[in-house]
Amino acid sequence: MSCLNDALIQSIVDGEAVVGDKDGEAVVGDQDGDARAHLASCARCQMRVRERETVMQAIGQSMSMPADLPPDTRLRVERTLAEASRAGATRLRENRAARWSWPRALWSAGAVVAATLIAVVFVAPTINSPATVSAAEILAKSATLLATRASTGVEVLEYELALDGVPREMMPDHADGIYRMKQIIDHDVSGRYLVATHGPDGQLISSVAQDPASRRRIVAVLIDDQPYRFEFSVPEGVVLSLPEMERVHMQASIAMMQASGDKRLEVIDTPDGRRYRIQVPQVSAQTSTAVWDLTEASVVVDASDYHIVEFAVKGTFLKQPYSVSYKLIARTIGAHLSADAFEVPRDPRAIDIEGEGSAIPARDVLVASLREYARLRTQRDSR
Amino acid sequence: MDVPLNASHAAQDLFRQHGAAVYRFAIALLRHHQDAEDVVQETFLKLLRHLGGGGSMENVRGWLFTVAAHALRDRQRRRSRWIPWAPDHEGIVEPAQLLDEDGRMRMLRTALRQLPARDRLLLALRAQGLSYQEIAAAAGIRFSSVGRLLARAVDRCEHACAAQVAIGKPRAIKPERHGLL
Repeated sequence: MSCLNDALIQSIVDGEAVVGDKDGEAVVGDQDGDARAHLASCARCQMRVRERETVMQAIGQSMSMPADLPPDTRLRVERTLAEASRAGATRLRENRAARWSWPRALWSAGAVVAATLIAVVFVAPTINSPATVSAAEILAKSATLLATRASTGVEVLEYELALDGVPREMMPDHADGIYRMKQIIDHDVSGRYLVATHGPDGQLISSVAQDPASRRRIVAVLIDDQPYRFEFSVPEGVVLSLPEMERVHMQASIAMMQASGDKRLEVIDTPDGRRYRIQVPQVSAQTSTAVWDLTEASVVVDASDYHIVEFAVKGTFLKQPYSVSYKLIARTIGAHLSADAFEVPRDPRAIDIEGEGSAIPARDVLVASLREYARLRTQRDSR
Repeated sequence: MDVPLNASHAAQDLFRQHGAAVYRFAIALLRHHQDAEDVVQETFLKLLRHLGGGGSMENVRGWLFTVAAHALRDRQRRRSRWIPWAPDHEGIVEPAQLLDEDGRMRMLRTALRQLPARDRLLLALRAQGLSYQEIAAAAGIRFSSVGRLLARAVDRCEHACAAQVAIGKPRAIKPERHGLL
């Protein structure tokens, strides 16, 4: 037999029988005996075995971690496994209180707000786990902060948003689902805001600005490198804004986390100060019938004032998987901005479309586009 | 999730036996305490469901590492999708301090971090003492291929070390996103 190949040397070093491969099936037989017989008489192969043993030992050492399970993790897992025979180990989904069957009226922004308030004010506080009081308290404070918006001044938020699933599909671009967002919210004028979405390369993908005082909403969007600019009249009484909807989603998700019995709290000291990370570990979706459901959630909260700096959820919406991840980059309250800060910059290449607005900007864009298309076709046919 | 009492007891026993090993395996690849803890919890919750559903107790250790390896992959994919790489996300957990007078251990660790994900997974499974049969199941490869792929992984590791020697110092690493897997 000729000298052993590397795979045979490896098998011998690892104390495994040398196997052959016949029609895709592992075969242990003559090859093992032949290889060992050769090894016994070949000084070169013996040396290669010794060298490989040394390397494998070094690799094993280099991969060794000074790690044993942290006592609190050990206790938590043991407790979860022990409790499983009594009450259920996975709480986010199994806990009945957390399994809300949200009505289809979720589409209605008003229903979202109402449901969130019910969840935050009435449902969440009734569910409490003695082992997770601290996490629950932090979440409650964050939820309260979310519910209590800044009352005056201009707030500027810059954050990174990563979307997957349903919300990503709803985005007008073909980016990879990671966006850099900028929000300017005027708390002195209800419903006045600007939201700008940039792709990972910094290119402006879309921008939405609304000013109820002038009853105007501008939506600028870039599709296939063609800019479009929609200008809508905003009906009276529309105060729910995109930032508001995002805040409500965050608030509702926090409420669901509050309802979970299996929250995990970690204290992190960062250069920017102390933070709390709260996670609801992943539970697999089984037979959820809820319109909206979460399978995993985590939030990082600034310990100084409980504002949320990171937020990530994964779940299903209308049985379609989705995930949202938010990471705050900068936040300024009481910013002094020029009047045009709320203006969407005009691109000279943009195709302008005008229409009547409603409370739902995405719907308005669709309706206005279809009307414009119909108008152009009628115009063409009449020539 | 209601599971029989005996399944719960069995899962607790298996957690005491293998929990630390699964944790070390996860932390060796992810190098992040929180994520490694998540993987452990997820793995043993799945074990509980497996046992509660009348699943087999045969080769439980291999089963555990298979589930843990899948959880690691899922976590890695999710992290890379959610959060861009940043230095403070990387290398939170440092490997054990070992006597390394000539710097070879450091060089080896640098080389290991440069390996493709599957190579690192195979070496980590082997470092935990898993048999080829168990490694094949956990890594989703054919049993007859384990020796060959392990040998290739070791070769790549040695070449990466040699490359560092050639330029006189450990090469600057371009870290892969979030951990080693």
